[in-house]
Amino acid sequence: MLTESNIDPKIIEEILKFSKNVIDAPKLVSAPDEINLEVTPHEVVQEIDKTRLLHYKPLVETKYQTPLLISYALINRYHILDIHPQKSWVRNLLEQGFEVYMLDWGTPTSMDKYLDFDDYVNGYLDTSVEYIKNQLSIEQISLQGYCTGATIATAYTALHPENVKNYIATAPVIDGWKDTTVISNLAKHMDADKMVDTIGNMPPEFMYYCFSVLKPFEQGIEKYVKFFKNIDDKKYVDNFLRVEKWLGDTPPIPGELFKQWIKDIYQKNLLIQNKMYVGEELIDLKKIDMPMFTQVAVGDHLVSPECSMPLHYAVGSEDKTLKIYPTGHVGMIASSLSQKKVLPEMGRWLSERS
Amino acid sequence: MQSKSSKNVTKDPANMTEYYKHLSLFWTDIIHLMSSKPQALTSIGPMRAFAANSKKIAVELIEINENLVGFNQYMTEYYKQLSETWRGSQKKVNQKAPKIPQDAEQIEAVKRIWIDIFDNDFTELFDSKKFGENYGNLVSKELELTKHWNNITNVILQSVNLPSKEEVDEVYKEIHTLKKRVSKLELKLKKEKRKNVN
Repeated sequence: MLTESNIDPKIIEEILKFSKNVIDAPKLVSAPDEINLEVTPHEVVQEIDKTRLLHYKPLVETKYQTPLLISYALINRYHILDIHPQKSWVRNLLEQGFEVYMLDWGTPTSMDKYLDFDDYVNGYLDTSVEYIKNQLSIEQISLQGYCTGATIATAYTALHPENVKNYIATAPVIDGWKDTTVISNLAKHMDADKMVDTIGNMPPEFMYYCFSVLKPFEQGIEKYVKFFKNIDDKKYVDNFLRVEKWLGDTPPIPGELFKQWIKDIYQKNLLIQNKMYVGEELIDLKKIDMPMFTQVAVGDHLVSPECSMPLHYAVGSEDKTLKIYPTGHVGMIASSLSQKKVLPEMGRWLSERS
Repeated sequence: MQSKSSKNVTKDPANMTEYYKHLSLFWTDIIHLMSSKPQALTSIGPMRAFAANSKKIAVELIEINENLVGFNQYMTEYYKQLSETWRGSQKKVNQKAPKIPQDAEQIEAVKRIWIDIFDNDFTELFDSKKFGENYGNLVSKELELTKHWNNITNVILQSVNLPSKEEVDEVYKEIHTLKKRVSKLELKLKKEKRKNVN
């Protein structure tokens, strides 16, 4: 048993320092609510219902003719792709000379519970593509989808291949049966019909539950201990709060879209089998025949590589590249690794085809 | 006026079942209609609606109690799974770090062992079929409870002449269909225009 005489003074010192940090925290750092996540200057060029099409202002002279449209995920908001000037996916692409657009899906309300895959793919995304084509007088764009946004982008690319010059799929959710994550286990056992019929949209609370079962002790406890321990480290704290704020901003997912999502992707696994319908059209992945670049992360605990990689083999493209990175789902898009490796590789690939 | 089934029964005795069905329906309906008249008279209009609503709410409450039994069963299993995993993980930690840490480095090392073991074991649990099934059933029961609550709210809304959830949903659906049709037409028009310009 520990007695007063053999307690390591370092322990006392650490406890005192930690307590001081907790007390000093409000004086040293901003409240998450005070942090502005809109980092890179942009303008809203089109608004339809709750969705917004953002056009980022160029940071250098645009070098490539084909603009890039990013279809962000349905979970949380697009801010993670522009979370911090030094870790911004968008800023890096702008600095490489690309013209960048982003589709912000907005925050659906109860009124939007009937929005489905068809609205997202053939409505919002198609309208955004048409807008860019009209504005720039071009026939094709480059399209990037991230996570569930890549599922929507994949469906779009298969249905409208004539509009997509290059397709980039980043951690796409494709083969639900092969997904080995906790999320897919919950999704497979969920009565999506009952959930949507009873509560309409998929509520954010349910997503918070899903987040809480992902590494619950590292993410739920240790992360915050580290935060207070490093309260003097401005860079660390700033980055931490930005990511935390992003994590806490989870819009509901429209009921019909969620229902189709869970049933067609995770439970029946129709997309990879070329059996999924969007509206009245069948999605045939073989129709994706343009250059394609797939990015997956080995440590992805939201979309496992086994779930994403089948897309690479299922498409009809001859010019296709699969890149696997030693990081996680968010690490792939908002980390120093993404700045040093993921984005330069993607930029090189895209520049040769834009 | 003679009904079809009563006509047939005299000609074809094989239709006896049909005849008795008709007979029973006839008297049930007639008795219901007859009895509702004095009931309406004594209930002085709106109070009758109150009685009917109370009955609906009582039925929902009875069903909520039935569902609560199922909900509690899955909830107990949920916490049982969590506590069993916790116990197992703690045992592993005790085996791996049997001594009480004496200095800051040792505390850090034990903390790391604790987090790694707990995260691994809990992820294994959350990834298991038994957890997925039980969690799915638990959520399903929770949704049934919510549905009963919605039904009770609907009764109350209708009693004060407000639209029910179903009626509001119908409006939402109608708006969605109309918006979808309009935006598809607009998009088609834009594409046509662009085609013509080119």
